[in-house]
Amino acid sequence: MRKLLKTVFLVDLIQGLWVTLRNQHPKHIYTEQYPAQRPKIAERYRGAPRLNIHPVSGETLCIACNLCALACPENLIVVTSERNEQTRRKELTTFIYDTSRCMFCGLCEDACPVDALELTQDFELASYTRDGAIWDRQMLEEGPKPTRYRY
Amino acid sequence: MPETTFLDANELVLNMGPQHPSTHGVLRVILKLDGEKIRGTECVIGYLHRGVEKIGENRTYQMFAPYVDRMDYVAAVSNGLGYCLAVEKLLNTEAPPRAQVVRVILTELNRIASHLLWLGTHALDIGAITPLFYVMREREEILNIFEAYCGARLTTHAFRCGGLQYEVYDGMEQQAKRFCKAFLPRVDEYEELLSENRIWKERLINVGILTGDECKQYGVTGPVLRAAGVKWDIRKALPYSGYEKYDFEIPTRQNGDTYDRYMVRIQEMRQSVRIVEQAVEDIPSGPIMAKVGKIVKPPVGEAYVSIEAPKGELGYFIVSDGSTQPYRLRVRPPSFINLQALERMSRGALVADVVAIIGTIDIVLGEIDR
Amino acid sequence: MADENQPDQTAGAPEGDAQQPKTTPPAETPPAAAPATPAAEGAKPPAVKKPAPAAKPAAAAHGEKKPAAKKPAVMETTPWESDLTKLLAERFGGAITEFSSYVGQNFLVAAPDSVVAIVEFLREEADFDYLVDVTAVDYPQRPERFDVVYVLYSFARNERIRVKTRIKEDYAPHTVTGVHPTANWLEREVYDMFGIRFAEHPDMKRILLPDEWEGYPLRKDYSIINMDNRWVKDNLGIDSGQ
Ligand code: SF4
Ligand code: SF4
Repeated sequence: MRKLLKTVFLVDLIQGLWVTLRNQHPKHIYTEQYPAQRPKIAERYRGAPRLNIHPVSGETLCIACNLCALACPENLIVVTSERNEQTRRKELTTFIYDTSRCMFCGLCEDACPVDALELTQDFELASYTRDGAIWDRQMLEEGPKPTRYRY
Repeated sequence: MPETTFLDANELVLNMGPQHPSTHGVLRVILKLDGEKIRGTECVIGYLHRGVEKIGENRTYQMFAPYVDRMDYVAAVSNGLGYCLAVEKLLNTEAPPRAQVVRVILTELNRIASHLLWLGTHALDIGAITPLFYVMREREEILNIFEAYCGARLTTHAFRCGGLQYEVYDGMEQQAKRFCKAFLPRVDEYEELLSENRIWKERLINVGILTGDECKQYGVTGPVLRAAGVKWDIRKALPYSGYEKYDFEIPTRQNGDTYDRYMVRIQEMRQSVRIVEQAVEDIPSGPIMAKVGKIVKPPVGEAYVSIEAPKGELGYFIVSDGSTQPYRLRVRPPSFINLQALERMSRGALVADVVAIIGTIDIVLGEIDR
Repeated sequence: MADENQPDQTAGAPEGDAQQPKTTPPAETPPAAAPATPAAEGAKPPAVKKPAPAAKPAAAAHGEKKPAAKKPAVMETTPWESDLTKLLAERFGGAITEFSSYVGQNFLVAAPDSVVAIVEFLREEADFDYLVDVTAVDYPQRPERFDVVYVLYSFARNERIRVKTRIKEDYAPHTVTGVHPTANWLEREVYDMFGIRFAEHPDMKRILLPDEWEGYPLRKDYSIINMDNRWVKDNLGIDSGQ
């Protein structure tokens, strides 16, 4: 009998609808209005790569040891260097990083002995061309410049 | 196996997929129909094959770790755990206690996330759209924890062979606890939405029955096996990563139909919350990385290690020849083997049931095809 | 112009690098592995070799020592003895050549033609009712080229064992689908990846790769680069720059 009444009065369906109604309150809004409202990115986020430079002198921190290139499973980093005759140190000449193939695993970052290579919180890596996804040293030092939309 | 060439006048061959919203990826199912009734099914898979096992043979042990995340991308943390355990087994070491507890926390959270996504998409297949939105909201909280812990949300690469790379961040315990507290009422809410709903019950009860014996025959594991009344969970049967320390139950049901699998997964989420709550209570201090050195080079040998992934038994069989790269790396994917039982489950069912059955196995094509 | 060169460099170099490790191991490692197996058959643990990698990352000193340490590159198995092995030895006698365990995992090596009988016996008499996995390993340097590995689990005993068998390249082992229906797709995958045909399998065709695929990818002599070059040549009509 109870079961019949429950069926007739659609109790099970109303119960579900009530849950939906409960969640209608504006304080339950969860979506982000993305380009206008920037998401909060965690500190450890592994996003766009950056080649750090010395904050004062502006020189690169990279010692061209090639460890990041060796650590990368995708082999997408190419580091070239030149030996400076005066200081007898290796100096970085070019640094190419193919973001289109990177899986942001963080192994290169872990391998770097001087914390020169870092994966940052920038996540907007889209590009109109394939070549645009291949970053050279300048790009890596300056960071990407995604379009910021204003509303 | 159905003979797909054989057609009599009443039979119709229908291709479901590879691009079909209810196949959860690029799965093609060839259905042999007699009116609405299924006479036979055949799965065509491999559209997402990337040769993970071959990649594994050409990468060092550490380098391969990020690739396993891309198999079952919904439960990347579990994949990583299984792989790390297998390599540690070959090295004959174990992760330090602190690392193990953190691993358990993240893996259980991942189990919840995986089940949540399953619930959302499965309900969507059946026609209940609402749960998907709620489910995504809770899953977001879990992904935020992953993001804060290891810097990635989906393909996490959270663990390393021998332990962890990242220390627990400040406030991780609180965040996990807050999530657990808020999450349990949410599960009740999902149940309110679905468990008693007449459409839900009509669509699921007595659909796609697989009995316990059939499960064993077909090697089906995970919630599908437990819904058929077999109380078996690797976390209890062959505990790893310190699971024996936690107090939790293995939910089982008797009928082995689609509805039971739904109930088992819902219960499992609650149990996972219990484990997380116990684990965050005391994370032991100490190192997070065992002494494995910069270069992982296991001695010659082989080992098969499996864990209870959200979808079933996920196993890694690694043969080492003493070099830095695996000589052979085999993955035993749970979805692949569970999907094989589709043929058995959908025999005699209706076309609409196939959608429910595919949904209930909880497949991820990235893992099936590897 | 310079921009155009750069992508080439990055795209080309990594592939080349990726190719390196792949071609070397089969040439280098199997000799180490090949003497390994006959020696292991005696099931005697050879002189204790330190699990090297964990010891110390003092790479240089270690590198020196390596040739010496490489000689006993054998799986350090220990004999496996239990009621089950007695039962099996009694029943199958010489068909099972080895009972061993490694890192606490038990396995047995059997003659190829007795595998189905053993698996069936294990299911019927010893409750190993769940076939976990079927896979293979390729050792191109060995006369019996492939290892076929069956992983079995028993719910009642809560025990997992492996049944291994060594087969020649053109040998077609009998399917175990009659005993465990799970083996259907698993054996198809083994065929797909290694080219091992299973006799009397109900549906012996490729599973992951397309039907017209050439070669068996998980064999050690299968080169991804060659395949890629050929594909580019056939389909695009150009030489790939790799
Ligand atoms: S994040 Fe991973 S894939 Fe990307 S460059 Fe670094 S090591 Fe390579
Ligand atoms: S590891 Fe660091 S220092 Fe070495 S080459 Fe890479 S970025 Fe430069």
